[in-house]
Amino acid sequence: MKTRNGSAPSTSSRPIRVPSGRRGDRKHTPKAQHQGLYQRAIRESFVKLNPRVAVRNPVMFVVWLGTLITLLVTIDPNLFGTVQADIGQQRLLNGIITCILFFTVLFANFAEAVAEGRGKAQADALRSTRSDMIARKLLPDGKIQEVNSTELRRGDQVKVIAGDMIPADGEVIQGIGSVDESAITGESAPVLKQPGTDIASSVTGGTRLLSDELIVRITSDPGQGFIDRMIALVEGAERTKTPNEIALTVLLAVLTQVFLIVVATTPSLSGYIAGFLGNMAGAAAGDRLRTGTSIAILISLLVALIPTTIGGLLSAIGIAGMDRVAQFNVIATSGRAVEACGDVNTLVLDKTGTITLGNRLADEFIPVNGHSIQKVADVCLAASVFDETPEGRSIVQLAQKLGASVDLEGKSTEGIEFSARTRMSGTDLDGKEYRKGAVDAIKGFVRSRGGQVPVTLDEAYEHVSRLGGTPLAVCQGHEIYGVIYLKDIVKPGLRERFDQLRRMGVKTIMLTGDNRITASVIAKEAGVDDFIAEATPEDKIDVIRSEQAQGKLVAMTGDGTNDAPALAQANVGLAMNSGTQAAKEAANMVDLDSDPTKLIDLVTIGKQLLITRGALTTFSVANDIAKYFAIIPTIFAAAGIGALNIMGLKSAQSAIVSALIYNALIIPVLIPLALRGVQFRPLTADQLLQRNILIYGLGGIIAPFIAIKVIDSILPLS
Amino acid sequence: MKLNSLKSSLLLLQTVSQSLEAILVFGSEWRRQKLPLYLFLALCLNLFVAPIVYAASGNEFSRTQAWALGLLGLGTLALSIYLFFVMFVPEKF
Amino acid sequence: MLQGWIQITLTLLIVLVITPFFGRYIALVFMRQRTMLDTVLNPIERAIFSWSGVRVREEMTGWQYARAVLYSNLAMLVFIFLIFLFQGILPFNPTGLRAPSWDLALHTAISFVTNTDQQHYSGETTYSYFSQFAALGFMMFTSSGTGIAVAIAFIRGLTGRALGNFYVDLIQAITRILLPISIVGAIVFIGAGMPETLSGPAIVPTLENPAISQAIARGPVAHFEIIKELGENGGGFFGINSAHPFENPNGFTNLIELVALLSIPTSMIITYGIFANNLKQAWLVYSIPLAILVGFIVITAMGEYQGNPAVNALLSGQAPNLEGKEVRFGWAQSALFAVFTTASMCGAVNSLHDSFMPNGGFVTLSNMFLQIVFGGQGTGTAYLFAYLILAVFVTGLMVGRTPEFLGRKIEKREVVLASFLILLVHPIAILIPAAIALAFPEQLAGISNPGFHGLSQVIYEYASAAANNGSGFEGLGDGTLWWNLSTSFSLLTGRYIPIVALLLLADSMSRKQPVPATAGTLRTDTGLFTGVTAGVILILGALTFFPALALGPVAEAFQIIKGIG
Repeated sequence: MKTRNGSAPSTSSRPIRVPSGRRGDRKHTPKAQHQGLYQRAIRESFVKLNPRVAVRNPVMFVVWLGTLITLLVTIDPNLFGTVQADIGQQRLLNGIITCILFFTVLFANFAEAVAEGRGKAQADALRSTRSDMIARKLLPDGKIQEVNSTELRRGDQVKVIAGDMIPADGEVIQGIGSVDESAITGESAPVLKQPGTDIASSVTGGTRLLSDELIVRITSDPGQGFIDRMIALVEGAERTKTPNEIALTVLLAVLTQVFLIVVATTPSLSGYIAGFLGNMAGAAAGDRLRTGTSIAILISLLVALIPTTIGGLLSAIGIAGMDRVAQFNVIATSGRAVEACGDVNTLVLDKTGTITLGNRLADEFIPVNGHSIQKVADVCLAASVFDETPEGRSIVQLAQKLGASVDLEGKSTEGIEFSARTRMSGTDLDGKEYRKGAVDAIKGFVRSRGGQVPVTLDEAYEHVSRLGGTPLAVCQGHEIYGVIYLKDIVKPGLRERFDQLRRMGVKTIMLTGDNRITASVIAKEAGVDDFIAEATPEDKIDVIRSEQAQGKLVAMTGDGTNDAPALAQANVGLAMNSGTQAAKEAANMVDLDSDPTKLIDLVTIGKQLLITRGALTTFSVANDIAKYFAIIPTIFAAAGIGALNIMGLKSAQSAIVSALIYNALIIPVLIPLALRGVQFRPLTADQLLQRNILIYGLGGIIAPFIAIKVIDSILPLS
Repeated sequence: MKLNSLKSSLLLLQTVSQSLEAILVFGSEWRRQKLPLYLFLALCLNLFVAPIVYAASGNEFSRTQAWALGLLGLGTLALSIYLFFVMFVPEKF
Repeated sequence: MLQGWIQITLTLLIVLVITPFFGRYIALVFMRQRTMLDTVLNPIERAIFSWSGVRVREEMTGWQYARAVLYSNLAMLVFIFLIFLFQGILPFNPTGLRAPSWDLALHTAISFVTNTDQQHYSGETTYSYFSQFAALGFMMFTSSGTGIAVAIAFIRGLTGRALGNFYVDLIQAITRILLPISIVGAIVFIGAGMPETLSGPAIVPTLENPAISQAIARGPVAHFEIIKELGENGGGFFGINSAHPFENPNGFTNLIELVALLSIPTSMIITYGIFANNLKQAWLVYSIPLAILVGFIVITAMGEYQGNPAVNALLSGQAPNLEGKEVRFGWAQSALFAVFTTASMCGAVNSLHDSFMPNGGFVTLSNMFLQIVFGGQGTGTAYLFAYLILAVFVTGLMVGRTPEFLGRKIEKREVVLASFLILLVHPIAILIPAAIALAFPEQLAGISNPGFHGLSQVIYEYASAAANNGSGFEGLGDGTLWWNLSTSFSLLTGRYIPIVALLLLADSMSRKQPVPATAGTLRTDTGLFTGVTAGVILILGALTFFPALALGPVAEAFQIIKGIG
């Protein structure tokens, strides 16, 4: 059985911020500027024609090279063999092909540029929050030297005075002050920062100190801070391919290679047949076949067959995925982490702050030992007057509602703070000791004062636990008066989210310091799959390890220093920005809004990223059937297989140009889908497959047939 | 006289070192700019390929066409090698 | 007509009925469980192991397994190559045959080592009895055993087991599967009228003119015949293979040959099901090649039954196409044999594929392009699962997770290996040499029937080599240096690159930590996913060869239609 350490819940010192309402309401990072995005993207798509950039996208590089060669045969159609047809017409066709291929490359570049541009806009907005500033660096001899913030190194100490920007990420080692973190979190209420305390001691560069003075020890080198990392990531500067992207690149390269071989061997095959036709049916028939398989047409065939759609959009999808995460106000340290979100099998969630609202509120006083409810309220009030935690204040409120009062005038009073050792807090008032805290702690206290533990206490304790609440005992001296029922409030809408997660095959585990009974009630109410009661921080890492041993990927959230090892162990560790520096260092994602529920959204984003990639790959590959049936029968028409032209395309020229136009246009058509991501619904894998196969697989087979036919009938080519 | 010869030898040394430097710079530029090198090698290789194409095709192609076809074949081969490279080290792309 | 379709249906039914039993038996053998032959075979195997020094318990990694395959096959290759070169001075050579040319000997050796048995010669006039049974007959067991061993190692890896030991697997494949059935089969064949003798050709007076005598080739045929079919070898004792009355005397032997040549590739899928403990998936996977096979049989048989429109026009009536066929088998059994033999990569023929209607050319070529319509000895099943892995990768992303197969993640390494062996090896081994040959039709190709049919001939020869099928479209002057060497390239590429890739793939799959299945896991044992796999096979596997098919059999079919119109 797990034991619990600091479980006295009412007086936890952690300031837990309640996420302010629904997602749409929350303020985001300063709004990214989208003005001029498209002009810049268009300019960028030409810049990306540079062969050194082009070579990094294998599929599009092949198109790029193809364009070059078709350009050559536009200039001189006889370059690779004398054309046995009207040379002007041939030149026109080659010219058209060149143009379309060129636009295909441009469109793909444009897709990438738009995605990058959106990320850049986001990054610029972030960067504007942290222009270079002067920092007051504390020298070892105590003197202050003014230096540029970019010259600060890890370990340096700086002095920050009210009104200053905090120059870099760091830890408060001296002083107390309130900091405006709205620049990064969007939350306007200032946050109190002071040394020593786990959470309140870490400050982020680019935030502003509003009052007092702080001495801060810098914890990151320039360019290594969280914001820097986020900027690098959304800009795509440090974008390394994620494992899935790498595997997909391999598949695309193999497909390109296969079709390169197919197309490169075709002239020999068709040349042999052309020779035969020339002998059998006259030179004209052979020449028709040769013209049908000229270099420009073969390159068109190659471009139509290689997976240009996914090849052109692959990097845009990845960048857009990172961008979506950033828009959620979450910093991911790598694309790998975002992708891993989609693979997560188990979510390990803290009860407090994640599943329930951070603040438990006093709901009821239950008298024991025959005391009146009025008396209990008085004692509760007395024990809580100095308790500034939300729980403490809610006790005061409830007691006052019941008409309790306490007279502090002219008496010697002292507030007793909560400590993890005693697990209780209270007030020494006029020599009387008022205490409240964990039931067994109070039991021990009362016994030590020579009192008796009433039988009814355990009944009340169990009653509260069974309701899913947290029981706190209150006493004065050696007399136990009653039990406070602190009610845990499960966040609204969570049950449905957990149901969705379950349908997607994600298991949720709730961790709580509460006793078993309370935990099981909350777990049931919230709809989590499993829970661990009376958990210590060490339990967290054990849970993660045991899940991982089964091959599962685990995601968790955390904020305290003692969460750091678990955050590092988890496959996806989401640290709260309000958390300690250690926690943020260990995690691979940081939530600037400090809303642990976001982990669920991140799972969705990760899945959406993978689905978008898969859907476009399937679509791209499925397109090949139609392109084959458009091109092959028409260019080999001289060999007598014209009847295979089931689409009834007008001519070889028209068929090729139509297929190529479709091939080029489908890229910009799909850019919005690539950037926005495929709509995600929380369904089981089988349902998702069925749905997506229908849309992108079957759709990918049928759509090009229709589109090519339509383009063919519009084109004025004969 | 002696000084003069020393001067001239110094000058010589300087020229040599300068030209060495130039070669080094040129070399490093060479190493950085792979594309021109590859193109040059392809053109050299094509000196062997083009006559083969010309000879094998009988009278079908002119010399220019044979030369262009040889280059096209080499280009296809290079593209294929490039794609193999992508297949085995996709991380670099 | 009805009779023909009944023959076809019955044969298919027999194959289907045998599958689960044979598949289970193979699984039991390689899971090292008790089988009924234990009492006889255990001591024999123990003797073989101790004599050969095979360390039975030693498990091999993927690379070790692959190296064992390569080294042992190389050793066998050299061994039989030497036998061919020295057959003139070796015993059992009643007709006094001398050594064949070095390139033919090399091609024959490579073709038998790779389980292909492509023959650029006529057996009765090229190789002595000794070469036939000591070199070719020996290779028929070992090359087929190699295929089984690789498939078993692949299945083991896929299901998360250690790959096993190649030498043990090879020996057990022979002692427990190939040899017992071959012994029984050979006796049945002798009973059905096949010769099994070491004496030279029979010299008999002809019926027409007793003064003139003729030599009738014979030899140790019966034992050669059963392993030829069972082991998917297909190399005939005589030049015309199973069309020869000594290799395939009657309908009964034809039926046994048909069933034998498809029995192991079909059963291997069920073997997988037992290893994976998921028979449902095995049968679903089974349905893919079965559906393709049935479709192909119908296409081919319809073409042969309807006959050549040009001939029909002359006859002014419809007659089956019997050109190049043994009348004792007729259109139905010839068509069935052609489809079975190219589907299973056996390559034995009981009729001339060259004289089939274009339908037949299309089907036999497609069979060899796909390689998974049950496919070769063991490798067919492995290819099928590589396709499944590829299908999982392409479509699996669409459920929003890194694709998994049997709980194991498909990542870069798996995609490289699976896509390489499934998609790339074939175009390299077929299209590139075919393009070279067709660029110089007069100098190199030696095509007997120019035009669309000639193109099919060339493509067929390389497809047959690369898919390790070994059947010939025939009609090609293929005994030349060019053909011997270029097909040798296709043979080796088509055999060993995939085998190494399969073993490495199995190895990396077996090392992965399996992820437990949840509602978010793509299930691969559903009808939907089976359909998706079929689509992937069609798009990725078949479309690659669409231009070749379009200029070959498809164009030929249109030409014939136009010819009468």
